[in-house]
Amino acid sequence: MQATATAGKPHIEVENLEVFFGTVPAVRGVSFNVMAGEQLTLLGPSGCGKTTTLRAIAGLEKPSSGEIRIDGAPVYSSARNVNVPAEKRGLSMVFQSYAIWPHMTVFENVAYGLKVRRVGAAEIKEKVDQALGMVQMRAFADRRASQLSGGQQQRVALARAFVFRPSVLLFDEPLSNLDAKLRADMRIELRELQHRLGITSLYVTHDLEEALAMSDRIVVMRDGLIEQTGTPDEIYGLPRSAFVADFVGSANLVRGKHRPDLSKDGMVALETTSGQVMYGMPHGRPIHDELVMSVRTVHFQLSPNRPGASLNVWPVMVEKTVFQGDFSQVHIDWGGTRLIARCAAMEPVEAGAALFMMVEPRRVVLLAPDAASESSA
Amino acid sequence: MTTAVAPAGSSFSAQKLAGYGVAAIAAALVLYPVFYLLQAAFDTGDPLVRPPTAYGLDNFANLFNYPQILLNTLTVSFAATAMALIIGFVMAWTLARTNVPGRRVFEQLMAVPYSLTPLLGALAWSMLGQPESGFINQVWRALGGSDHLININTPYGIAWVMALFEGSVAFVMIAAVMKSMDPSLEEASQVMGASRLRTALRITLPLVVPGILGAAIFVFAEMLGSFAVALVLGLPNRYYVVTTAIYQLVQQYPPRIQLAAAMGVSLFAVMFVMLFLYRRIVTSGSYVTITGKAFRPRVADVGRLRYVLFGVCVLYLLAAVALPVATLLFASVQKIAVAFPAADNFTLANFSTAMSMNAARSALANSLLLGFGTATIGVVLMGLLAWLIYRSRLPGSGLIEYIVMFPKAVPRLIFAFGMMWAWLVFPLPIYGTLWLLLIAYLTVFMPLGVRTISGVMLQIDKSLEECAQMCGASWAFRTRTVTVPLLWPGLIAAWLLLFIASVRELGASILLMGAHSKVITPAIVESYFATASELTATLALIQTLVIALAMIPLVLFTRRLGAHAGD
Repeated sequence: MQATATAGKPHIEVENLEVFFGTVPAVRGVSFNVMAGEQLTLLGPSGCGKTTTLRAIAGLEKPSSGEIRIDGAPVYSSARNVNVPAEKRGLSMVFQSYAIWPHMTVFENVAYGLKVRRVGAAEIKEKVDQALGMVQMRAFADRRASQLSGGQQQRVALARAFVFRPSVLLFDEPLSNLDAKLRADMRIELRELQHRLGITSLYVTHDLEEALAMSDRIVVMRDGLIEQTGTPDEIYGLPRSAFVADFVGSANLVRGKHRPDLSKDGMVALETTSGQVMYGMPHGRPIHDELVMSVRTVHFQLSPNRPGASLNVWPVMVEKTVFQGDFSQVHIDWGGTRLIARCAAMEPVEAGAALFMMVEPRRVVLLAPDAASESSA
Repeated sequence: MTTAVAPAGSSFSAQKLAGYGVAAIAAALVLYPVFYLLQAAFDTGDPLVRPPTAYGLDNFANLFNYPQILLNTLTVSFAATAMALIIGFVMAWTLARTNVPGRRVFEQLMAVPYSLTPLLGALAWSMLGQPESGFINQVWRALGGSDHLININTPYGIAWVMALFEGSVAFVMIAAVMKSMDPSLEEASQVMGASRLRTALRITLPLVVPGILGAAIFVFAEMLGSFAVALVLGLPNRYYVVTTAIYQLVQQYPPRIQLAAAMGVSLFAVMFVMLFLYRRIVTSGSYVTITGKAFRPRVADVGRLRYVLFGVCVLYLLAAVALPVATLLFASVQKIAVAFPAADNFTLANFSTAMSMNAARSALANSLLLGFGTATIGVVLMGLLAWLIYRSRLPGSGLIEYIVMFPKAVPRLIFAFGMMWAWLVFPLPIYGTLWLLLIAYLTVFMPLGVRTISGVMLQIDKSLEECAQMCGASWAFRTRTVTVPLLWPGLIAAWLLLFIASVRELGASILLMGAHSKVITPAIVESYFATASELTATLALIQTLVIALAMIPLVLFTRRLGAHAGD
């Protein structure tokens, strides 16, 4: 399959892509590669330019500058004045609205891409049958779109997108119209299908869990710029900026001055205005006088007794706790600064209790400034 | 996989070619006649020499020598607008806000007056209300009255017939305003302790006033440009409003083209300002917008009054629909049209005469032919235009929308006048042929067709087309397999609407048809002025029947679509 044949080579290359809607910039100079067989996700809040980037790669949106290459050949290049129409880029796409044609049956919908490619009737029958089998929709071949549920339409849209063996599959928030339960199931199914087909796929979502669960790599976008690119582990564990830390799951942002005199063993020391000192890891990021560090709410540990560790241990007060089902959210008064810790609901803590709070320095991540605020400054 | 490298300029060639080709045709159809209309209006040289030898404002200055026409136009338009608004408001309030019996049925029937056409109403009311021979006056004298009870050949008679038909337009607009008002606004007032009267005066009225004002301006602009009723009821007494005056100036010998053009341009300018005001009022300033979502208005229990209101509704539909149709039916089966039936006066000869009379038969055949032609060519042209304006994202599509919608703001008579003047000098010999009428219909009905098709087009999710593109389908292939099949109901609705509009067109046809290319509506008017009213009634009925036959599938279709079909 394709994945093994060309593994490790960039399949899609995006270079300095810019897209304007009139005079409004939607994408402001974005570069990334999608490797062959890889599943890459563009993640970000609405309006961050992720869908526009995907549509520009598809050929549905005309960029204003930059270059897009597929298998090394430019399909869009402002410098070389190249713009290959969408239908000739050899890609395929699953739309947010599913876009199932209501005037055709399920079979006709799936067969469309093959008919366009002038495949013989017998082969169409065989391939459509196979594709519908892969999404467990074989029994619905003669139904019309109006007789399908949302989840079924989703499966048909998927079968239609891969039946003609495109080299790349693009997904534009394909699960956002499904209910939460079905979304979780489809996530797993999509991931498995992508592995079986070995197809390169580019996926757009604003749903963090979806991105973490489905991707080989994630590109976090904001205001038309890339904030961070990395594996799901890196994005979650080593957020590059305050925006990523905050958007990708819940994080505490701690601000303060750099204390080079206290820093040791490769760790950076930060002192807040109220005099609290916290040690964290710099991960090669620039160390300025003013620092911001990120701590995930799950990484704080609370205990009634002083723990054995010597660094990052503080006596704190519990302001209040909010019960949220599987866990409780604990609001901590950390020397005048409010921090949030997440505790298993099994071990309740009382408001007003005096406790010790600890966090391992390797869980404290030094952040770089946001890409968006940097570019506008 | 293959990634053909194509230069950006040629990548959408078929699409661009079709797009710009169609845009160029539309722009030429609209702008070419407008240019000649303006040229004639500012031409102060020798009227027999073209192109003009001198330009100036003399023609407009000359308009002040005809104050009577202005006065007549304003009298009729104001009177008709006032009556139409009263009809529209009472009907809208009754049907939207009271528990009058049979509301649903009445609401459906309110569409009928407009589709009957004002011309039909004018012909029927002429037979009913002429001072001497009018049926109503015959009955009046038989009952012992003297002279006449009503005289339809007066400014107020003209205004009455216009108001009967425009009243249904006012109804639609005012009812929309009433339905778009959130009933919780009134409920909030009552919860705060305000009485029903106080709520009506302080909450309801201020909320609907902008909408009613908008309707008033729109209706007034329509009245200024209306033609058929003033022609049928005003011409016998030489009572001219601006549209009939233009018609007269063009038709008389020698024609006074320059004066007529100046009149047309002035009327058009006034209407343009009014429609601009209307849009301003509807889109801004008012709290209740007509385009907003529809609420279920609160229905007030009006007690015994509901039977009075029921009577009002019945009376309106009687005057606007039942009485005119019955009058024409009655007249069409009589040898000499009189109010009182007599056994030896009945005949079916009028129908065989109408069908055997060469002029009438060829006029009907021409109209049907033109209807088919206009509808068929129009659907393709206007479908492409709708796609170009709302879907293609080709540069300049906003400008094309303005040009395409432009004929909506110009009375068809005046547009036809510009066209007559334009195509006279055109190198192709189409003047006086059906081809000119076809071109005229395609031009003046462009807004109707584009709006109908785009209404359906905008309901189709754009990703349905994009998905076909992502499956690798070329523009031509996906248009054929996805866009057109999805658009099919809209295209059929547009076809039927264009057909109906063509078959009953008067304002443009009456100026542009040649001696050997007559069409049915002007032929009916000619018959009214030249021959007996029985034959006229017969012709009008035959035309109505043809339109009704086309209307049935349209109503069934649009009801299933749930899409509003426009006028």
